[in-house]
Amino acid sequence: MYVEMKEICKKFGDYEAAKQISFGIEKGKLVALLGPSGSGKTTILRMLAGLERQDRGDVVIEGKVVNDVPASERGIGFVFQNYALFRYMTVYDNIAFGLKVQKADKQKIHARVMEMVSLIGLEGLEKRYPNQLSGGQRQRVAFARAIAPNPQLLLLDEPFAAIDAKVRKDLRKWLKDMIQKVGITSIFVTHDQEEAVEVADDIIIINEGRLEQMGSPIAIYKNPKTPFVAQFIGTSTVLENMVGFKGYDDALDGKKVIVRPEFVEAFKSDNKKFANMMNAVEEGVIENVVFRGSYLELTLLVNGVRLTTNRSLERRHVDIGEKMCVLLYRVYLFDDKGAEIRKNQLLKGIDVEAL
Amino acid sequence: MEERSSKIAKWCLIGISVAFFLLMLIVPLFEVLYRALADGLEAYGTALGAKTTLSALKVTLLATVIAVVVNTVFGLIASWLVTKFDFRGKNVLSTLIDIPFSISPVIAGLAYIMTFGRTGWAKPLLDGINEALGTDIALVFSVPAVVLATIFVTFPFISREIIPLLYAQGRDEEEAAAMMGASGFTIFRKITFPHIRWGLLYGVILCAARAFGEFGAVYAVSKARGKTFTLPLEIDALYMAGSADSITQAFAVSSLLVGMALIMLILKNIVEYRGKRDDL
Amino acid sequence: MKKRGFICKTVCFTLLAACTAMALTGCGEEKEGGTITFTNVSYDPTREFYEAYNELFAEHYKETTGSGIELVQSHGGSGSQARSVIEGNDADVVTLALAHDITAIENAGLIEEGWMEEFERNSSPYTSTIVFLVHSGNEKEINDWDDLIKEGVEIITPDPKSSGGACWNFLAAWQYAKTTFGGDEEKMKEFVSKLYHNVLVMDSGARGATTTFVENGQGDVLIAWENEALLTLQEYPGEYELVTPGISILAEPSVAVVDENADKNGTQEVAKEYLNYLYSEEAQRMAGKYYYRPSDETVLQEFADTFDLSVNLCTIDDFGGWDQAYEDFFADDAVFDEIYAAQ
Repeated sequence: MYVEMKEICKKFGDYEAAKQISFGIEKGKLVALLGPSGSGKTTILRMLAGLERQDRGDVVIEGKVVNDVPASERGIGFVFQNYALFRYMTVYDNIAFGLKVQKADKQKIHARVMEMVSLIGLEGLEKRYPNQLSGGQRQRVAFARAIAPNPQLLLLDEPFAAIDAKVRKDLRKWLKDMIQKVGITSIFVTHDQEEAVEVADDIIIINEGRLEQMGSPIAIYKNPKTPFVAQFIGTSTVLENMVGFKGYDDALDGKKVIVRPEFVEAFKSDNKKFANMMNAVEEGVIENVVFRGSYLELTLLVNGVRLTTNRSLERRHVDIGEKMCVLLYRVYLFDDKGAEIRKNQLLKGIDVEAL
Repeated sequence: MEERSSKIAKWCLIGISVAFFLLMLIVPLFEVLYRALADGLEAYGTALGAKTTLSALKVTLLATVIAVVVNTVFGLIASWLVTKFDFRGKNVLSTLIDIPFSISPVIAGLAYIMTFGRTGWAKPLLDGINEALGTDIALVFSVPAVVLATIFVTFPFISREIIPLLYAQGRDEEEAAAMMGASGFTIFRKITFPHIRWGLLYGVILCAARAFGEFGAVYAVSKARGKTFTLPLEIDALYMAGSADSITQAFAVSSLLVGMALIMLILKNIVEYRGKRDDL
Repeated sequence: MKKRGFICKTVCFTLLAACTAMALTGCGEEKEGGTITFTNVSYDPTREFYEAYNELFAEHYKETTGSGIELVQSHGGSGSQARSVIEGNDADVVTLALAHDITAIENAGLIEEGWMEEFERNSSPYTSTIVFLVHSGNEKEINDWDDLIKEGVEIITPDPKSSGGACWNFLAAWQYAKTTFGGDEEKMKEFVSKLYHNVLVMDSGARGATTTFVENGQGDVLIAWENEALLTLQEYPGEYELVTPGISILAEPSVAVVDENADKNGTQEVAKEYLNYLYSEEAQRMAGKYYYRPSDETVLQEFADTFDLSVNLCTIDDFGGWDQAYEDFFADDAVFDEIYAAQ
């Protein structure tokens, strides 16, 4: 393990920001700390950096306990949420700052800065000031500034929060490529799960100061270990009192059920593809149809419960009020004790994923 | 219809403001110049070159320069403490900074006398220091007294300009710099100072302008003409001398102060302009 | 931690720099090549007189001792000046408006006992009296004290709490009331009350009052030192008139060496010489020139045309001396406070 947090606890007055957080990150990995606002993820990042001090527990970097090592000596590059670029210095001076503080040789500084400038694709803009750059460009400079002094660990605090939606996508891809190119172990904080899923190798989900689950994006998505993760990841509906659904018997009674759009299939009765599953079909009425840019989102009333599903634009037209056949492939069940996936028993044997 | 009545209102307001400024500022200034030159340029030159005038000018400049330097250093420190740290008594410090604004300068002068005068409670302490150092420093009715009174009265000017700037800047940039290993002094020099540069300069100008014109506090602690008088006190003495000549001289020295004030005003405008231009 | 160290260093450095700067400016009383600095704390109207006298004395000093001397003057209301000396104003000598102010300094320990006998004629090198100054034409027909209480007459006189001249003014008015009302305290108080009711502005010093009356053009009549009135007539010929009231007071400004300061500054000899020289013929004549009545009778006669030598004058002894007079009239809650509070 390259970076570890062991039983970290932190309180701000009465508010517990971190409750026995423990995790380890391998060298070279790009990890996302994902969680809702106020979950404590930024605090954890700052404790890693040394900007905050934990009440209990150890921060270990490269095998060494760094609890008493000041932030500037931990070999960490930090990218702040609002970039925190030095507004009275040029791009060049911003990137060179860390090296100048280390009193590196002037030639070396120049070489390294120019290397960074070309790495981030801002050649020709070294003499500009931050206020003369776009948001995306500023973020790139912040990145270059953080890694210019060759840190061992790169920490980013919600790096894309302040950027336009359109630019965000491009920048995400760019960041992932850059980090892979440079090969530096990186941890970034975000509340946007789409971002975490797209960019990170592994995701650590934090909620209310607790570590909920750690794993690859797919693992977390398909096998949520806690109710919170099940709800947090993906778009889901939480339902109670689901009774009378074919294939689930009493399994749903008294439990909270999470249904994702991809668990639900709605089709017209004459659709031959689902001919062999008609025994598991429920009847549903379309309540609402919403265009979501690249697909339709249907809301159906099925057995007194509202279910959502996504429908490709390539399929036949549907209207509000139309009756549809509805299949429920699987659900997540959870109560206070845990969560589990429950498949539709009537569809056993049918390879749903091949459809 | 509405447009016309709002136009009238606009011109009325402008008219009133202009009339106010003319009456309260422009006319008196012209009067000063007019009366100053009433006896001709030669008399004007003599008045400005008089021994007492030059001494007063020297004392005024000395007090102003020292006040500006001391208040810049302590103003920076106080502002830094108030904006970057959280500590008990922070609000008290903040209030203390503003005290010279709220109390009459005369009271400040009298307070000095109560403290450092011959019958003041700090006199034995001062005597002890004087004995130890072999000096003869008097803190009342002397030039140091004038300097101290000026420092006190002009203290808030610089802090008040810097504090809002420091607040607005926030701690992010400084944290980023600290993370990369920069020392406190480097952070101040490279990150904080460029941000407050123009505000600081503006505060310095205001401080100097105020120091030039200070009367009340200095009047209480300075009694010796030709030795511890500042320009305002000298002007008062000339006016009190009563003769037609001395009154013209009083206006002549006043015009000197007016000139210094105008220079300050021009400097202030330049700084404001440059500051806005460089606003990042 | 680094920040705190930096702050400490800067604070210490600045304090050191400031102290050094002040020490340098404070060491002004150095003797540069034999020139002594000498401070005379005086009362308000004597500005012109001492400017001239100092020139005269500097010459005399140079001739007799061969050294130069730098003379520094301070002026203000006599009471305020006395207080400033008590509070630390480094006066080598004081030349104030009344003996009582000098007594106050004596009581504070700065002047040795028996100062009044140290110089001739009760340490009073020149005297004056109280007169009225009015605008040319004397429209309001102010000829004596009783005209002052007429309705619509605006008086300018300074504040006895700070000005010496103001005290003399008050006593002269009181003396008039005493002789007019035959010692009836009530009527006397009533008279003075009405008089102060007509006062428009009370300055802190006699010169301040003159400035208010002459330059600022306020009031119909100025109750003033005779020397102030005569000086004004000289400065503004034809614009004012001097009115001598039927009864006035012999005002005796006093002088003294401030022993504590003179000893500390090493100027005892110079101080004595400075004050003694006020009694020399040249100085006495200069005093007369500036409208102070020379205490030397012979010289006084040379100025018979300037001064009205026939004025009916009472003296401070008629009030039982200054200590008594001050306590009766100008101390806290004494007659003046009584009258003024009732306004």
